[in-house]
Amino acid sequence: MTASHPGTHLAPAVPPPAAARSLTRTLVVVAVLCGLAVVTLLAIHWITRHDDPLKSPLLAALKEQLVAEPRNEALKEQIRALDLTLRRRHAWLLAVYGFGAWFLLVAAVMLVLMGKALARLHVTPSLPQPRPDAAERAADTARRARLLTFVVAALAAGGAGWLGLSARSVLPADPAGVEKLLAKLRGEEDATDLPSPAEYAANWPRFLGPTGNAFVPEAAFPLQFDPVGGTGVRWKTPVSAPGFSSPLIWSNRVFLSGGDVSNRVVLAFDLATGQPAWERPVMNVPGSPARPPEIPESTGFAASTMATDGRRVYVLFASGDLAALTFDGAPVWSKNLGVPHNPYGHATSLATWQGRLLVQFDQAEPEDNLSKLYAFDGASGRVLWQRNRPVGASWATPIIFDAAGKPQIGTLGGEWVIAYQAADGAELWRAKLLSGEITPSPIFVGGLFIAASPADRLFALRPDGTGDVTKSHLVWESDESVPDITSPASNGELVFTVLSHGVVTCYDLKDGKPVWEHELDFEVNATPAIAGNRVYLFGTKGRVAVLAAAREAKELARFDLGEGVFASPAMAHGVMVVRTVKNLFCVGPAAGARPEAKSP
Amino acid sequence: MNPARRSLVFSLIVGGLLLWLGQGGSARAELRFPPPEFESDYVMPPGITTPPPRALAWEYVDLAVLAGTLGWAAWLVHRRRSRRGLATLSVFSLIYFGFYRQGCICPIGAPQNVAYGLFNPGYAIPLTVLLFFLVPLVFSLFTGRTFCAAVCPHGALQDLVLLKPVKVPAWLEQGLGTLPYLFLGGGLLFAATGVGFIICRYDPFVPLFRMTGSLFMLTLGGAFLVTSMFVGRPFCRFLCPYGALLRVGALFSKWRVRITPDYCTQCRLCEHSCPFGAIREPLAAPAHPAALAPDRRRLGWLLVALPLLMVGGAWVGRHLSVPAARVHPTVALAEQFLAPNKPAAAPGAPTPETRALARAELEAPTIIARAADIRRRLTTAGGWFGGWVGLVFGARLISLSLRTTRTDFEPDRGACFACGRCYLYCPNERVRRGLISPAEAAGLNANLAAAARNRI
Repeated sequence: MTASHPGTHLAPAVPPPAAARSLTRTLVVVAVLCGLAVVTLLAIHWITRHDDPLKSPLLAALKEQLVAEPRNEALKEQIRALDLTLRRRHAWLLAVYGFGAWFLLVAAVMLVLMGKALARLHVTPSLPQPRPDAAERAADTARRARLLTFVVAALAAGGAGWLGLSARSVLPADPAGVEKLLAKLRGEEDATDLPSPAEYAANWPRFLGPTGNAFVPEAAFPLQFDPVGGTGVRWKTPVSAPGFSSPLIWSNRVFLSGGDVSNRVVLAFDLATGQPAWERPVMNVPGSPARPPEIPESTGFAASTMATDGRRVYVLFASGDLAALTFDGAPVWSKNLGVPHNPYGHATSLATWQGRLLVQFDQAEPEDNLSKLYAFDGASGRVLWQRNRPVGASWATPIIFDAAGKPQIGTLGGEWVIAYQAADGAELWRAKLLSGEITPSPIFVGGLFIAASPADRLFALRPDGTGDVTKSHLVWESDESVPDITSPASNGELVFTVLSHGVVTCYDLKDGKPVWEHELDFEVNATPAIAGNRVYLFGTKGRVAVLAAAREAKELARFDLGEGVFASPAMAHGVMVVRTVKNLFCVGPAAGARPEAKSP
Repeated sequence: MNPARRSLVFSLIVGGLLLWLGQGGSARAELRFPPPEFESDYVMPPGITTPPPRALAWEYVDLAVLAGTLGWAAWLVHRRRSRRGLATLSVFSLIYFGFYRQGCICPIGAPQNVAYGLFNPGYAIPLTVLLFFLVPLVFSLFTGRTFCAAVCPHGALQDLVLLKPVKVPAWLEQGLGTLPYLFLGGGLLFAATGVGFIICRYDPFVPLFRMTGSLFMLTLGGAFLVTSMFVGRPFCRFLCPYGALLRVGALFSKWRVRITPDYCTQCRLCEHSCPFGAIREPLAAPAHPAALAPDRRRLGWLLVALPLLMVGGAWVGRHLSVPAARVHPTVALAEQFLAPNKPAAAPGAPTPETRALARAELEAPTIIARAADIRRRLTTAGGWFGGWVGLVFGARLISLSLRTTRTDFEPDRGACFACGRCYLYCPNERVRRGLISPAEAAGLNANLAAAARNRI
């Protein structure tokens, strides 16, 4: 054995040389530096954990504020400055971490090399020591190893069993449950739960009625009525919240929305007595801007008429707040679609189809690409589909109709008439026939899609095309006395329009030729309401004219309500409900003469 | 210059060189700033938290380097029998496969690619990845765990930082020897079902190679590194899933590591030489066959219990689909989307979470259907995984009930990492290298035998 081969375990141990002591001291210093570096990096990480440009709460709050004030240039500059500061700080942090990583690597290498050298210097030779019988030792080792294996297996089984059996998931486990959930998500709810078409048609569930052409074929309303004196009026009740939306009628309830900058509500009244049933505020909607937007008074917060599918009522305010309530006023869901960029405020009314809520949300300019058509699941508010629209702000309400073997959603906006498949929002056809500010809503009657391009033309399209049907499917058009605000109304034979300054025109449905024209001499903003063989026209100053719905112009009555009307009336169950500026009143035969309404 | 001072100077030189090289690392770190969210058709450059894909030619270069180092390691282990050569090769492997290639592609994660390719028709496993998986396994069938010896960067790192090894009790080592197989099974489960590559995700050393990662993974890597200084190769012995496969291959290897170059003199000088507890001492058969009866009974019961363990494991495994599926981002998004109290979207100031929920709202049926499909696949795969776990535990219990006989001190075929540390402990090896004469070796053996008799 020689001492010239240290570390071979065959040489005697030698005392560490003096240099080993300096090696030890250096190693301790490097180890301490390593520790300090680790602690420093951890401290920096902890202190700066909120300085992530993506997660900065301050930056997020400023961005939220920018949504409510999109033209605040000072706020934009503030956001940019803060963003730049956070990014610079982040880049500095990355550089610090990078340097720290390399420092630790260098220190670790030095630690290891010096540690190995020290270990070699301090190695002590070991000679074999007496040990018990190898077989006995092996058996003992195996026994302990088996026990440990059993313990590990038991822990693994117990842990996995607990984890697996206690885990719960909202995702259904069985295929049938998944299929049911998928069907619900695709909007394929149980159809037996929906109102029948007859029930739907017997009520007034949306703007301008179930068919959207403001017509009830069998009605016997008085030729004159006086809400002030009570003649011909079954009841009159004040409305606490202002608005220009039309009322809805479903069964024994009248629903109405109203609101202003500080309060938005949904109101319900008893159809028979006019007594208020409930009033539900629609406030604190998730995502609603902290400060309500500025809406022109000429439109207000509640210009969009509500809609109902026979299960729930839906409301949309100009702040972008969308909500669903039960017939008893209980909230079901609510969300905010964002404040629409609309110069006059949002006024497009809601529509429903097969338990889905359809919202045409046009805004800004076409090139901003913000306009959308949504389909929400009525029960949950979940978006079933949405389609971008190549249009700017508009105010017409979509119409749902069956044509060419499929349910369609007809919309107006910008320059385009666009029809979508109701099931999935796929575009079916479009026609470039519009111009100006699109306010009148389209109607579907006699197999024709009829719409007005304000002060431009009234036209009819065959809705059975695909793609661009501008030239191929135009049936007729007329440029005489085209309405600018109100929508057309039709009884299936004639089409009636009224200009805002009070000129009523009657067209032949088949060819669009004007049949007659009649001047009212008062301003009208509400779409004509056709009840039986009479056309009711309500003026903005409270004047009312009743004309014959016939091929000859004949004014049957003219009277004064005492206050202005901007909203189209609702007509169902033998009554007409009219919203004036401050009141809601009901016109119809005596209570004993009309069928009892069923509870929802 | 004495060795201590030489080591200090060498450390300072290496440290300074690394620090100089590291300036480039700081600059590269600045590229990791998350880019802005563009709404146009801008295509993001490849993320730099994972290595960018290389040209195919360079992947074949990596493959050639792998094969070359494996061959070189095999020569160093079986012919040259050089610990110093293996240590040098380890440094090269650590630098090339670890810091330069940043631990990717690596054979440890390659089984996941194979599993994913087998069960997902839309994925074609690249040939280089397949070969990265197969080549070390093929070598193990001939030369043992030469991949672990000096080629794997994980093993190289742990091996190089080992300072003062603490002996792990044999029963503890054998009892915990099932963990790599469980990790392998879990990794293949998640990979085959498309949930994720958890072996890569939870690799403790890759963040150290890339010098970036989450705080948790960096801490885990640091903990493994510090542990490796005192416990030999903790990752390799108790966690490495690829090592589990190599262990099986090494059991059948044509050439195995031998401590002595020719014959064992039973001098016992090597019995504590292995820092990884891989050396097995001679074991004679019992004198009386009756002593085997308890072992035979136990073995019989374990053989009967093995299928029961597998069935029981399969049953438990099937029920793990709910928590396991949540690892997949689609399932997590679907559950968040369906949760009754999910936060409302704020369309004005979107966050990544609200954007994901908004996308889910538009594609809800697709996402739900995919999530349900993933859960269904995990239910089936979980059953297989549970059965595998039962098999692993049962096989381990059976192997611990088998008696083996051994005449010499020799490394365990499966557990030996072929690091070469034990060679110089053998007097016959020293004679082979000319360090001592045969007479000195014989005298040593005689002295040791006398000392043993005196102690007895």
